[in-house]
Amino acid sequence: MITDLHKLGIKFFNKSGADMPLTDFIPVFHDWIQNNRLDDLLIDVADYSHVPAGPGTMLIAHEGNYAIDETGNQRGFLYYSKHEVPGDTVAERLASVCYRNLSACKLLEEEERTRDRMSLDYGRMEIFSNDRLHGPRTDEALAAFKPQVEQFLNRLYPHTDYEIDYKNSDPRERLLAKVMIHDAADKADTLLPRTRTDSL
Amino acid sequence: MTSWKNTLSERIPTDLAEEIDAFASQIKLKKQGKVDDKLFAETRLRRGAYGQRYDNGQRHDGIETRELHFPTNATKGPDTLWDAPGMQRIKIPFGGLSTEQMEALADLAEEYSDAICHITTRQDVQLHYVHIDDTPDLMRRLAAVGITTREACGNSVRNVTACPVAGVCHDESFDITPYARAMAYFLLGHPDTQDFGRKFKVAFSGCKDKACGLTNIHDLGLIARKKVIDGKEKRGFEMFVGGGLGPVPYEARLLDEFVAEEEILPLAQAISRVFARLGEKRNRGRARLKFLVDKLGIDEFRRLVIEERKTLPHDDRWIGYLDEVRAWEETPVRKPAELTAVSNDEEFNVWRDSNTYGQRQQGYSVATIRLPLGDITSWQMRQLADVARKYCGDNIRTTVEQNIVLRWVANGDLPALYDELKHLGLAQPGAGTIFDVVSCPGTDTCKLGISSSRGLAGELHERLATRYQQFDSAIQGLHIKISGCFNSCGQHHLADLGFYGVSRKMNGATVPHFRVVLGGQWEQNGGSYGMTIGAVPSKRVPDFIDRITGKYLEERHGNETFQAFVQRIGKRELKKVVDELASVPPYALDPTYYSDWRDPREYSISDIGVGECAGEVVSRIDFDLNNAERLYFEAQLAHEEGALRKADETAFSAMIAAAGGLVRLQNPSIPDDPEQVVPEFRKRYYDTRLFFDKYAGGKFAEYLFNHHEQRNSDLTADRVRLLLEETQLFIEATHACNARLMEQADNERKSTGDKTSARDKTANAANA
Ligand code: SF4
Repeated sequence: MITDLHKLGIKFFNKSGADMPLTDFIPVFHDWIQNNRLDDLLIDVADYSHVPAGPGTMLIAHEGNYAIDETGNQRGFLYYSKHEVPGDTVAERLASVCYRNLSACKLLEEEERTRDRMSLDYGRMEIFSNDRLHGPRTDEALAAFKPQVEQFLNRLYPHTDYEIDYKNSDPRERLLAKVMIHDAADKADTLLPRTRTDSL
Repeated sequence: MTSWKNTLSERIPTDLAEEIDAFASQIKLKKQGKVDDKLFAETRLRRGAYGQRYDNGQRHDGIETRELHFPTNATKGPDTLWDAPGMQRIKIPFGGLSTEQMEALADLAEEYSDAICHITTRQDVQLHYVHIDDTPDLMRRLAAVGITTREACGNSVRNVTACPVAGVCHDESFDITPYARAMAYFLLGHPDTQDFGRKFKVAFSGCKDKACGLTNIHDLGLIARKKVIDGKEKRGFEMFVGGGLGPVPYEARLLDEFVAEEEILPLAQAISRVFARLGEKRNRGRARLKFLVDKLGIDEFRRLVIEERKTLPHDDRWIGYLDEVRAWEETPVRKPAELTAVSNDEEFNVWRDSNTYGQRQQGYSVATIRLPLGDITSWQMRQLADVARKYCGDNIRTTVEQNIVLRWVANGDLPALYDELKHLGLAQPGAGTIFDVVSCPGTDTCKLGISSSRGLAGELHERLATRYQQFDSAIQGLHIKISGCFNSCGQHHLADLGFYGVSRKMNGATVPHFRVVLGGQWEQNGGSYGMTIGAVPSKRVPDFIDRITGKYLEERHGNETFQAFVQRIGKRELKKVVDELASVPPYALDPTYYSDWRDPREYSISDIGVGECAGEVVSRIDFDLNNAERLYFEAQLAHEEGALRKADETAFSAMIAAAGGLVRLQNPSIPDDPEQVVPEFRKRYYDTRLFFDKYAGGKFAEYLFNHHEQRNSDLTADRVRLLLEETQLFIEATHACNARLMEQADNERKSTGDKTSARDKTANAANA
């Protein structure tokens, strides 16, 4: 049942800086751990820079994983939850997941070592279920997922049009929405208050 | 409520389902506080759910050790927090994978881990950062595709490994695959394998001369042989026992030069019984079969096994499996075809040269998917399953070199296969070359890691990618293998260029290093082990590789192999290369030495007083440890020259020098007299457990005590080699103990605001 879906992920694609060496993010993530820069319990950094089109450089947290992710040969900033996320509905949980993602994106925007070398496109994103039991890639689950995604997007971009593509030719892949926002925000800060919930 | 248990109930064999349900119940009971920590730890280990670094809730973040505040303080083993991520090891007997299994592994890595499947040096698959609560479902999903994680870790029979080209190889006596499979399932969960003091590893090889099976490093190694008996050709195996890497590598001993196929299972059972009955149980450090075989001697061990065999009640499975052997065959999905035209694609040609192997069966090849550091993403794994379906079907194996091979690929399909692999980022050339670096997880995820083996491997991978094709072919063919510590999971003893992680206290700080092990033999089933030369700082390892390979190219005689070259020039010459790179600049001049590869955290928890370390006063223990290293080196030279008695005595003096160094921290008046040092050491460091390593306990100290007690025993070259290995480990442990003491003193100093340096404090304590 999609209502039990908590393992959710959001990836914002890069606008620029997709050629910045993945290993350059390793010290940045270690600094975040040292300085408790995020709400999650940050555990360690995992380096997969040697794997083509892989999860890149990861920041492993208890609640979820953050990554400069290159899956599908498209670099972006990814966060996905691994445990229960606050929120009564999937839409609310997506907001929680997005809040965590944007909090990290904001740090990248502020970080001296990254801010002039890369930027993220908050108008191009992927939203997915990382749980094939509660959110499988079936017509039924997709039908239940769609309104939740839209509800979340209406909250993230209340006055902006968007397009969503739910198509994925590979049935083995996860339940996925590819989103294109027409008039996207430039900064994480613009979006952060829209994703914040009291329980965060 | 939807659950994997219900969803998959039709697809999981009843016995597997029951086992997993029982494990899920154990989890519930543990959460209710009804299962003891130690018992639960062994229970989950036997299901492959392993601990991972920082699972005690402590992590040094480069500044200080911080507590990781997980949601609960519940534990899943002694000193192991429930919520801390762990590693799930998945046994893949003989490395055989189907496309369906690959897809399942891809999904599991994505949903429960970090979207990476890691292939290990035992042909297993490992997933990292897995939460213990997710493991029963993970196991159910594996069981639904015919995989069990049972006995993947713990004191049990580990994954049975085998040559990845078995059945298609030109050199084999016969295909060992169905035998390896039968052995794996016969020993799995067998009552006679449940009471081992330590793990037990089995390997099969189709021939004696090639490397693939590595039987020499196994507790039980079987090499295929045929023999004519009463005019009939019979299949059987040359059986070896008691090999093993680990801190002290032992070469396997011949148990029987021909065991008929009907006898291999009962004999393995008899060996298991003898091991369970007589193997060490309390001291983990001496609990592997190799120690028992060494202690009893191979003849007595053989006698006991034969006696035990006679007492075994008959089991139909002993020969029942032979029907499966006869029926065993692999079906290609494509007709055999030759490559008709020479390709102009230079990249394809390079890949084909290094990554394909022409099968015995005309028109087919094995294609190796070279996985950097053994890693493949979920997406790649899924896509690779599709590629396999198209070109080779379920004829897929993992390898001990952390790669995947596709077997039964029609030669005519190789260009198309290459193009598809390239699209997936899976067409890296250089399989089996110096570029194909093997590494254990090391400090990335392993609790025992000392240095970053994967960080170093990643760095070498990046550097060699652009260079290795320009190398002389003699260099291209070398193997690099890296372990994060002395436990040898990266199989460094078998590499031309082997490295294992150690640390050194230098300039008042701890500096990551790798010990260099040169000239090991990968061929002939891991025929001989390399020699330990000395340690270089982690950051100088790439330079060391350049220098030693350069020296080899310049100075080799004709077509001399690297192994022969290393033997010929000897330790003294090799040590010079190590020494050229051994120095570490003060932190102020170059702080990079003080952190490990791809991990910018300062390596040490001690206070590196910036700008002050260059003038540090060298304390007595530094001299003592240096002296121990020198003596150890001389002992190695004596061993090389065949002066066994001298080697033995010098090695013992090295131990005494190291132990004496520690003793003098507390009692400066003790001279380097064994009769005074050993009892003092026992009293001050062993009985007090000060010397005890968190994981190895007092094992290394026992090497000193044993050596002291058995001074005048008979010496063989092999025995002295073992003593030398033990000496080296004892000295390493002394370094580690010294570092721990200094760090403790530093921490105390910090907490009391005392400005006296750790060294002064230790010295003051000693003087007092
Ligand atoms: S060799 Fe050491 S660091 Fe590497 S996996 Fe084995 S125990 Fe861990």
